[in-house]
Amino acid sequence: MITSPLLLITVILPLASLFLAFRPKGQTIYRYCLPLLPLPAILTGLMAEFHHWLELPWLLIGGVWGLDELRQTFLLLTSVLWATAGIFAVGYLETRKPRAFCVFWALTLTGNLGLIISVDLASFYSFFALMTFAAYGLVVHERTDEANRAGRVYLAMAVTGEMALLTGLLMAAHQADSTLLTELPGAIAESDRSGMIIALLVSGFGVKAGLPFLHFWLPLAHPVAPTPASAVLSGAMIKAGLLGWLVTLPFGEISLPAWGNTLVVLGAIGALGGAALGLNQVRPKTVLAYSSISQMGLITLMVGAAMANMEHAATLFSVIALYALHHGLAKGCLFLSTAVQLPAQRRFRWILWLLIALPGLSLAGLPFTSGAAAKFAMKDALKPEQYDFAVAEYLPLIMTAGAVATMLLIWRFIWTLHQSAQTGHNHPFKWLGWVAATVCSLVAFWFLPGARSEAGHSWFVLTPGEVWSLSWPIVAATALAAVWWLARGRNGSGTG
Amino acid sequence: MTTGALLPVFALMTSLTAAVIIFTLPEHKHQLRTAVNLVAAVLKLLLVGLMVWGVFQGREYGISFPMIPGVEFVLRADALAMLFAGLSASLWLLTTVYAVGYLEDSPNRSRFFGFFSLCVASTMGIALAGNLFTFFLFYEMLTLSTYPLVVHRGTQQALQAGRTYIIYTLTGGAVLLFGIAMLHNFSGDLPFRPGGHFADVTPDLQAPLTLVFVILIAGLGVKAAIVPLHGWLPTAMVAPAPVSALLHAVAVVKAGAFGIVRVVFEIYGLETANALGLLSGLAAIAAFTIIYGSARALSQSDLKRRLAFSTVSQVSYIILGLCLAGPVGVAGGLVHLVHQGVMKITLFFCAGNYAETLGIHRIDELDGAGRRMPATSVAFTLAAFGMIGTPPLAGFITKWTMGTGALAAGMDWVIAVLVVSSLLNAAYFLPVLNRIWFREQKKEWPEERQWGRFETSAWLLWPPLITAGFLVLAGLLASASFSPLGWVELIVAREVDL
Repeated sequence: MITSPLLLITVILPLASLFLAFRPKGQTIYRYCLPLLPLPAILTGLMAEFHHWLELPWLLIGGVWGLDELRQTFLLLTSVLWATAGIFAVGYLETRKPRAFCVFWALTLTGNLGLIISVDLASFYSFFALMTFAAYGLVVHERTDEANRAGRVYLAMAVTGEMALLTGLLMAAHQADSTLLTELPGAIAESDRSGMIIALLVSGFGVKAGLPFLHFWLPLAHPVAPTPASAVLSGAMIKAGLLGWLVTLPFGEISLPAWGNTLVVLGAIGALGGAALGLNQVRPKTVLAYSSISQMGLITLMVGAAMANMEHAATLFSVIALYALHHGLAKGCLFLSTAVQLPAQRRFRWILWLLIALPGLSLAGLPFTSGAAAKFAMKDALKPEQYDFAVAEYLPLIMTAGAVATMLLIWRFIWTLHQSAQTGHNHPFKWLGWVAATVCSLVAFWFLPGARSEAGHSWFVLTPGEVWSLSWPIVAATALAAVWWLARGRNGSGTG
Repeated sequence: MTTGALLPVFALMTSLTAAVIIFTLPEHKHQLRTAVNLVAAVLKLLLVGLMVWGVFQGREYGISFPMIPGVEFVLRADALAMLFAGLSASLWLLTTVYAVGYLEDSPNRSRFFGFFSLCVASTMGIALAGNLFTFFLFYEMLTLSTYPLVVHRGTQQALQAGRTYIIYTLTGGAVLLFGIAMLHNFSGDLPFRPGGHFADVTPDLQAPLTLVFVILIAGLGVKAAIVPLHGWLPTAMVAPAPVSALLHAVAVVKAGAFGIVRVVFEIYGLETANALGLLSGLAAIAAFTIIYGSARALSQSDLKRRLAFSTVSQVSYIILGLCLAGPVGVAGGLVHLVHQGVMKITLFFCAGNYAETLGIHRIDELDGAGRRMPATSVAFTLAAFGMIGTPPLAGFITKWTMGTGALAAGMDWVIAVLVVSSLLNAAYFLPVLNRIWFREQKKEWPEERQWGRFETSAWLLWPPLITAGFLVLAGLLASASFSPLGWVELIVAREVDL
């Protein structure tokens, strides 16, 4: 373990970039700097063998920053996504109030990166709050009535969530007699009020993570933000809530089957209910927002299982990290693709549609994609016979239904995108950002440490049986979509 | 007499002398008056800094002499005194700078700055007072020197507010004096002493001590704006902005809160007050005040009135902190004495800037003000987030420390109060911020003036920027030994014998 100033630079660089906003002529420079801001974070994440650690005793109530395996995966996901979305933003922003966007972008990024590297809870909570409040500026950026309404709902729910967190963290820290996040799980497990603390933390972070019934802001806010902001909201920031669960709740300390049941039920509602609502949407970004709720529901299944049976927590953690990495990168691409304009020549369009569809198919678990890796690891980790909580036996059913629902939602997305897509010219940075995100999701994923650590299975060598088990939900959903499409008449238009 | 004994006297004399000089200066000697003001403020800050350093090293400065038989005049610089004196001296300098800019070209500046200096001398006396009697002297001097400031504009509304103010505070003062006399009657002259004087209360003393406590708190509670004694504060916001800033952050409300701290810590003793059951009653009143003030702030459409009700709420955090009766909770309350001061003075400076530069008084006139006055608006935003208790700002440190103290004391309901108050704070500050930053300017500013090369006069701009810097650093560097929290922990270690 070495003291690592790189951790400091990770958050100082985006924060320091705010000075560019003071210069009246710095606007263009600032815009072009956006992709550079997450670079120290990417570097930190890739240099994980150094075991970054930094103690800042004068900070808040005693600051400790560091990086473990879990945080490393989240840091890489977050920084890579912000970098590619940042490239995209350079092109996207041309004429749209770039200064305000850059300021809130940098602040939100600082919060998002900072909370990942925080090991003490005051730093964590500070960065979490910074991200929450700064993201408001991104949500309402367009200043339409719709954006303002989404912003209000977002803020009201976020502030309420923050209060649940404050109470939960206070109670946990009091029990632990420590302000280190690492001490909280053990203390919560021993507390005689563990139920209340867990409920507060689950719901406080659940607002960010899009937990059912705490999700109302999400399908309003994610779509109205400017496209690159939607990508990081739905790909990276939603994962901050997940990370909050993982680092505070008493995983591996105690088995809580009741919480396992609750979370699995909530996860199922999120996975299937989110998809059902998403199928009724007409705008591609809203469909994607519901898809995020649905995917977070699937992840919540694993969180619930890890709560229920402590002995599986460690295994599930690496699968959750893998799934988060896969979903974050894929969802980022899908959001960016909503602002890509189609080329005028028809003969190139099919390549574009293929590239747009691939991350979606990856979400559905298409063999040889990151999604296949994630789905496979999840299926493996959630074998019901390993668990002894009541609803465990339904896990395979929920996952299968979830896979079909995911694919249906992707078809819905492609169909709505097709309805609303425009032809036109794309700024070169838009191309670059979108292509970079797609490459990260489809190719670079395999080389990131979070994915490598799961390399016990060899994803490139699948047996026919495995290919079939991954493919049939896709085939089934595609058939369903085709039937629906034929049934409503090929010339039908408008809403579905 | 050693120089050590004289330091508190000098600190007091700087602003008294400044007051005398300023009263005698002709109205048009603008630059000389400004120079006297600034020199005195800087000098005092240095003297207080010197004392803070000495107290940190373990020295104590003090002086006492008999006034009338049995009653002493005592000045003493201990760690607790330095908390208030330090706050007062630093914010006075900034407020003086601000007031010079604010009152440019307005009439009666000699009168204003004279009373302004007297007012600050009073707060210094209140900080350094070594017994209740000395405390009372300066407490009343504060009342008399702030009245001319409240009515400074001379309008009908100002005079009305002044009348309300003087009735409330003089009555409060009379009640306080009555309490002090009763206490004197059965225990003589009591110097402030860590741990208090009533460690062993005989049963026959319990009833009178309880009665005296109620009377003392009622007397002090007027200035501390505890509900239902808070009525003067929202009306007094008609005063000029620098006066409001000082009233709400340092002088008046803090004098009341500081008095309560002295009575609880150093007359009764925290343990005794707790054992007599006095603190649980006080806690309930403070909690009610916190919620009530925030709830009332919600419905105000005038910016300064909203801030005034916010003060009602926030000052009671200090009192609620004391009632937690443990080292952590007490630290949370005491540190808010400084944190609230720095945050609230920033808010009032900014409100003054909006009013003087753009003519904005109502919250619905603020639409788009962030684009016109970005620096002021950044300061306002930081202070508002601090008030909500958002980390990493000063208000968060208060809230976290108090919350931890509440759990340690087994008073879990205090967490609920903190949470509800934070939600209400968010509900009345966030819409204001939304207007400032995210709404487009709808119509012409009510009364715009171009002032210097910045968004407003530099005299008005720097003070809020500096205090905003303080409130960020007070939170961010809370664990450093020179932070307000670090100093409060020193006080708690020395004063509260737990």
